[in-house]
Amino acid sequence: MSDKFKKILLLDDEGFILQMISKALSKEGFECMMAKSVVQAIDILQTETPDIILSDYQMPLINGFEFREIILRDKRWKTIPFVFFTSVTDHEHMQKGLDMEVVDYINKDTPMPMVVSKINNIIHTIRRQHEKSIQEIRIAAEALNLRSVPAQTPEITGYQLKFLYQSFENYPGGDFIDFIQIDDKYTFVILGDVMGKKWGAWFFSFNFLSYIRSAIRLCVFDGNLSTASIIEKINKVIVLDSVLGDVLSTLSLLMIEHDTGKVHYSGAGDLPVIWYQASERKCMAVESSGLLLGVMQNGQYNEKIIQLESGDQLIVISDGMIDFETEDGKKSDYDLFLKKMKIVVGQVDSFDLIKNVTFSSEYSKGFVDDCSLIFIEKD
Amino acid sequence: MIETHPKAGYLLVKIKVKEANLDVADQFKTEMFELIDQGNTTLMVSFSDVAYVDSSFLGALVSILKYAMSKEGDVSVVDLNKDINNLFSLIRMNKVFKVYNTEPDVFA
Repeated sequence: MSDKFKKILLLDDEGFILQMISKALSKEGFECMMAKSVVQAIDILQTETPDIILSDYQMPLINGFEFREIILRDKRWKTIPFVFFTSVTDHEHMQKGLDMEVVDYINKDTPMPMVVSKINNIIHTIRRQHEKSIQEIRIAAEALNLRSVPAQTPEITGYQLKFLYQSFENYPGGDFIDFIQIDDKYTFVILGDVMGKKWGAWFFSFNFLSYIRSAIRLCVFDGNLSTASIIEKINKVIVLDSVLGDVLSTLSLLMIEHDTGKVHYSGAGDLPVIWYQASERKCMAVESSGLLLGVMQNGQYNEKIIQLESGDQLIVISDGMIDFETEDGKKSDYDLFLKKMKIVVGQVDSFDLIKNVTFSSEYSKGFVDDCSLIFIEKD
Repeated sequence: MIETHPKAGYLLVKIKVKEANLDVADQFKTEMFELIDQGNTTLMVSFSDVAYVDSSFLGALVSILKYAMSKEGDVSVVDLNKDINNLFSLIRMNKVFKVYNTEPDVFA
């Protein structure tokens, strides 16, 4: 079973029992958090969210039923699957316990391997249900043609344009990507990340993308091709929109001039774009100045011009790319990412190499958010 | 998930979680909005116990700032670890929030 959904909170006033269950479950890959009282358990729940709670009934001061009532009253905790594990097994107690929306009521006399199997089964069932729900929403989204990343990249003569996208734990997330071609002369490249994860961010990513698409088209109709001015306009609309007022997004907006190799770049709270200059064989981070979309009216957007020469490469990323799960916990490290890129840019097969170092199954296990990367190379 | 300490001219709010992420972002926002509604409009958020911040939490922090500003207040941040400090600079959150290295005696 995957490591997901394997965090368990164990509550029992007897230290010996806690140790015994914890030992058996740890062997099965569970991360066990132990509490000897309801007070301790609540304390753990303030900062940790277990995937399942296993609780004794008979405990001094506050018993397991009272604990269950506390859990049910709190919206942060009430959806966590709850199991009673107790030696109080008369029918009256069992019935009362089962009536408290618990998934099981396990007798403490049950052999430990069977307890472990029961817990594993519960978790399997929850995971399957979960995957099924995600799948159903995915199908609905597909049917409505709601996409936050394009099906394919456009072909531009003289350039290679590619992208990588991976959702977090198979949830759609807040990242969005798009390419808009204008008359074979210009191509706009869009990469953004609506802050937040999972459904909320995913839903808003469509709204943002719609705004951005229409802003680009309207500006182009008016003969305005400045990325800074386009981003400025998008920001103004978003700040004033009461629905989106509370939602924030990063945006990297680039416009490639096909004939000249000039790339106009403006960003809103995004990560620096990595530019590999083939003639100098060097890599640099190009920073933009603008604030996240939706923060304030004056977003302070600037426009950088990157003059691409033959063999030059650009890498545009979302923040998920620089977040890692390490032994010491989660961290964000742009410099580490840049270091990794420096090794793989400037090669004939740079894109595949980038894919291998960032999206390999081993590496992407450490991802903690959805991740996007756009690669541009001038032939 | 927060602990408050009144200071001269501002209220210091300590975040009491190690991972400031999506799971706690809503709760943080609710608790901070309550503080602002009680009249504490000048707030300094301490990240001394925080090792990692995700974008959902940053989003909540900006919403809190916008709410405080609508009541003529301000939100600043203090005690960011190296990674979080770098992230703030990289995505220009340091232009949105005043970032302090240590708690000032008086809010400037």
